[in-house]
Amino acid sequence: MSTSTNHLPKRDWREWQVYQAVTPKTIFVLLIAFMLLAWSGHNTEMDKAAVETGKAVLSAVGIGDSDVLNGVSKFGSQAFPIQFSTRTELTRLEGVDLQNLPWLSYVEEGVSREYDVDTDTWTEEKVEYLVEPIGYLNKVLWMMWETIEMGFWGTVISIMISLPLGILAAKNYSPHPIVYQIARSWLSFHRAMPELIVALFLVLIYGFGPIAGVLALAIHTSGVLGKFFADEIENAPKGPQMALSSAGANSLKVLRYAVFPHVLPAWIAYVQYIFERNIRTATVLGIVGAGGIGMELKGRWDLFDYDHVATILLIIFISVVVLEIFSQKLRNKTL
Amino acid sequence: MLMFENVSRVYPDGTQAVKDVSVHLKKGEFCVLLGPSGAGKSTLMNMVNGLVEPSEGKITLDGEMLTKKNLQTIQRNVSMIHQQLYLIPRLSVLHNVLTGILPQAGFWKSMIKSFPQSDQKRAFELMHEVGLEEKQLMRRASELSGGQQQRVAIARAFMASPKVVLADEPVASLDPAMSRSVLNSLKKAAQIHGATVLCTLHQMDYALEFADRIVALRNGEVFFDGHPSDMDEEVQRKLYEIERENLSKQQDATDSDNTETAVINPEQKIGAVA
Repeated sequence: MSTSTNHLPKRDWREWQVYQAVTPKTIFVLLIAFMLLAWSGHNTEMDKAAVETGKAVLSAVGIGDSDVLNGVSKFGSQAFPIQFSTRTELTRLEGVDLQNLPWLSYVEEGVSREYDVDTDTWTEEKVEYLVEPIGYLNKVLWMMWETIEMGFWGTVISIMISLPLGILAAKNYSPHPIVYQIARSWLSFHRAMPELIVALFLVLIYGFGPIAGVLALAIHTSGVLGKFFADEIENAPKGPQMALSSAGANSLKVLRYAVFPHVLPAWIAYVQYIFERNIRTATVLGIVGAGGIGMELKGRWDLFDYDHVATILLIIFISVVVLEIFSQKLRNKTL
Repeated sequence: MLMFENVSRVYPDGTQAVKDVSVHLKKGEFCVLLGPSGAGKSTLMNMVNGLVEPSEGKITLDGEMLTKKNLQTIQRNVSMIHQQLYLIPRLSVLHNVLTGILPQAGFWKSMIKSFPQSDQKRAFELMHEVGLEEKQLMRRASELSGGQQQRVAIARAFMASPKVVLADEPVASLDPAMSRSVLNSLKKAAQIHGATVLCTLHQMDYALEFADRIVALRNGEVFFDGHPSDMDEEVQRKLYEIERENLSKQQDATDSDNTETAVINPEQKIGAVA
């Protein structure tokens, strides 16, 4: 709230206006804001959330009963111990060389019980199982790797789209105001399309698998990156650009020499952030069938295999943390 | 060679920045423009640079008119050392110097920062002449001291073999010893490459020491034009008086929020933002 004092006549300092921190206007605005917050909070059940969470906390220390806590303990009891191994009947596997089993795996004898409805009898049969102690972990790790690759390619394609569009969307380097407007609105169109919804459509077009996921990531994040790029170019210091262009260098050369070196660190930081974000988002995209670890997560969730779900969540969590640490180190190096 | 013939300039707001200036500069001359701010030094420079058109009279370089229409002639023959230098901070010293010939460089090669050996050798030579060393070659411009950055700017200005080099307050932000050394480098480079230097200064002792010729301006008019040795104490005393008079005027100007100085030197504003 800065009121212009230009119109005031010159007067003695003793008569200067005192600054008022709280005015009736401030109180009125705060009151309106509070009412809006209350209304919107009720709409989104924030009041209920507070009550339920409070109950859960109380219940955790032994006071009363809570549905929320019951839900948590139900998932918890089924999720642990988390599932790392696989156990498959040998007869269902093809081409297993018993003399030369995969690493760490072994064959176990067990009893398979089968129920025959017609005779209402149980038949017991001795079968051999192939047990791989870290088989499932291995599978999940591979899927996590695929997810990371999805994030990577999503970022690469996003850069390929956003770099030219970003330059066209920078006011001072756009060849024409119309091109500028088109580029800007194109970028905001990309930004406005949420990955999950785009992925849903792309799964229809390309079928299940990572193609849909990668393209969905690329489309959304190119809008974000392009806007960052354009803004950075526009905010680069004008002096060096003026020095080069007034000497006769054309605008692409000016861009290359006076703008790119300046904006590069910020660009790298943006791209790193987008890469991290893409990996995190790619873990979710599988839920609509767009490849990655999310597909396995959704499948196990629907089968109530919470011990498998726990493995997946653990791997996602560890990977994201490790990538974040790695990316932080990289950033410290490039800046 | 560089000739100002009865040049005047009136700005749209009615300010008479330059009034009937006639100066003929010889090839290789080191000419210092003296005068308080608002005297028309920057306007005179910007007219050579093509940024400002003379309202009356003409400026010619070897017989060619210097106007906005002849921008190519200007760009080929005139280079500028800006007061704020405008080096590219994150680019290496070598590439900062090489940007002096960026307009002439091949497009695709310049995009991958590849410059022919002959250009690089020329950059080395210039860097040596202004007192830069090999160890500074690949350092970023921002890592250098103020004096060294000034030398990089000088080398860049001479890179395209200009006939005229304009230097706007080249030693404004340097200490006296460094100022002398930088002015020496500038003069040496100008002599070696036979370029005419038009340099604004506000310290009269440097002008007396380095200039081949001094042009002093006052309210847009030439107040003194000649060799430093022609500058007797009478003239010097008057120049000091102008300076003092101007200082008190500037005080008034800032009080009444006068925009005159901003109009006369538009680049300074850009520099302040950058």
